[in-house]
Amino acid sequence: MYFGGIDVGSLTAQAVLINGKGIQAFKSIGVKPNPVQSAKAVVDMLIQEERVPWSEVKFCVSTGYGREQVQAEGLSQDNMSEISCHGMGASFLVPEARTVIDIGGQDAKVIRIGPGGELIDFVMNDKCAAGTGRFLEVQARTLGLSLDELGTVSIGAERVLELSSRCSIFCETEVLHYVQRGHSKADIAAGVNRAMAERVAALVRRVGMEKEVTMSGGVAKNAAVRAELERMLNVRLIKYSADSQIVGALGAALMARRMGGN
Amino acid sequence: MKYLGVDIGSLYTKAVVMDDDELLAAEVIDTTGNVAEEVEALVDGVLAAAGVSRDELAGIGVTGRGSDMVEFGDVKRDDISCLCEAVSRLVPGANLVLDIGGQSVTSILLDEDGGVVDFMRNDKCASGSGKFLTVMGAALGCGADKLDEMAARSTNKVPVSSQCGVFVESELITHVNEGVEPADIMAGICESVAKIMISQALKFGFQDDYTFTGGVAKYESVTGPAREKIRGEYHAFPYNPQLACAIGAAMSAEEE
Repeated sequence: MYFGGIDVGSLTAQAVLINGKGIQAFKSIGVKPNPVQSAKAVVDMLIQEERVPWSEVKFCVSTGYGREQVQAEGLSQDNMSEISCHGMGASFLVPEARTVIDIGGQDAKVIRIGPGGELIDFVMNDKCAAGTGRFLEVQARTLGLSLDELGTVSIGAERVLELSSRCSIFCETEVLHYVQRGHSKADIAAGVNRAMAERVAALVRRVGMEKEVTMSGGVAKNAAVRAELERMLNVRLIKYSADSQIVGALGAALMARRMGGN
Repeated sequence: MKYLGVDIGSLYTKAVVMDDDELLAAEVIDTTGNVAEEVEALVDGVLAAAGVSRDELAGIGVTGRGSDMVEFGDVKRDDISCLCEAVSRLVPGANLVLDIGGQSVTSILLDEDGGVVDFMRNDKCASGSGKFLTVMGAALGCGADKLDEMAARSTNKVPVSSQCGVFVESELITHVNEGVEPADIMAGICESVAKIMISQALKFGFQDDYTFTGGVAKYESVTGPAREKIRGEYHAFPYNPQLACAIGAAMSAEEE
């Protein structure tokens, strides 16, 4: 007996199958022009690879963009918010998690959950690029570094050059001025990574923090940002073992098991 | 009497030579990380353009975010006061100034004598600032001097759906790749800046007489839509509005 979860994001779509014991299989693809197409495509790929017909999936929950349309198309039997699903999925992967930080390419969220993964509170920013992965992309571009390099080059920093603006675009001007004054990329990158961590910390404080704290999303791959954030919050951040991209779809599948199972 | 005014702004550094209320010459350069070294050449340049030597100057006024970075100048004054100095003398009777600079949008309330009553500045978010226009112009392959020309060609304005400049830039690039007419996108961009101007102008309520200063005030595609929604009588700044603050700095040197 299987349960399914479908999560359509802005860039990728995920489908997860769980059985009585845990995760059976999962798939992630780039999105199609509309959410229903994305959902169909990722489900098709998954059932082809797993050789499990979707009819054997007892219950499926959709989340993310177009979750209601996906349900209307019959691909899922119910839909739930991405925040609830993310919290549920994080709790499954890290049972001690009570604060879930997810910093994506274009948005940022911090979710407070209870012992069973139930949603207690959350804060989300998708209006201002500062505090999302975009902030790092903009500064990396000005420094002529890849995102990976931005995370590693600051290891050689002799000092941390402060960025005083909140806005990503204004910080870009500050970074440019540092470059023009001949400062090292390492020192500037250190300032960029610290500024990123400050924004994330501010978001965490808005919703309050309870241990244990997990961090996922693209920005979590930047070890320098993680180290700064751990220092600011005075906590060790736990990274997921599974591909953090599937957390939403996994949470949706777990919701499906609750709703449609015993 | 001749005065030099220098305004070291976030994006541009402006230098002007004034003969009382008359502008003799002006020069504008980019503000770089090395502006402290570059401003000397700027000053030499504007004096040469004005045909005035340093000894002829009765005073030098400096203002702007970068004014702490330079040593010279008889008077250092904050940019709000400098703007009001310029407006009170060159646009007498204006009681609201909307300054749209490189990285800020400010509304200033003046009394009947042109003194500052209050001001509100947004320099936290790039929306509505000159930088916003520069970024979008670059993404549309349009230099600042062609901005009005491009917006004027629009027949079907594309509204902007986000406030954040970073997200708007991406949205814009997607539109361009989809074949949307750049002129229509530019018109939408100008409208979004006009909206910010209007809401900033509203901070103190509409006033009887107002003016615009700052580099963005040069663009008719932005100021036109803004003026339609701001009540009160509009009076144009008599010189390039980007120079208003530097002019005020020069005038401030006079007081000493």
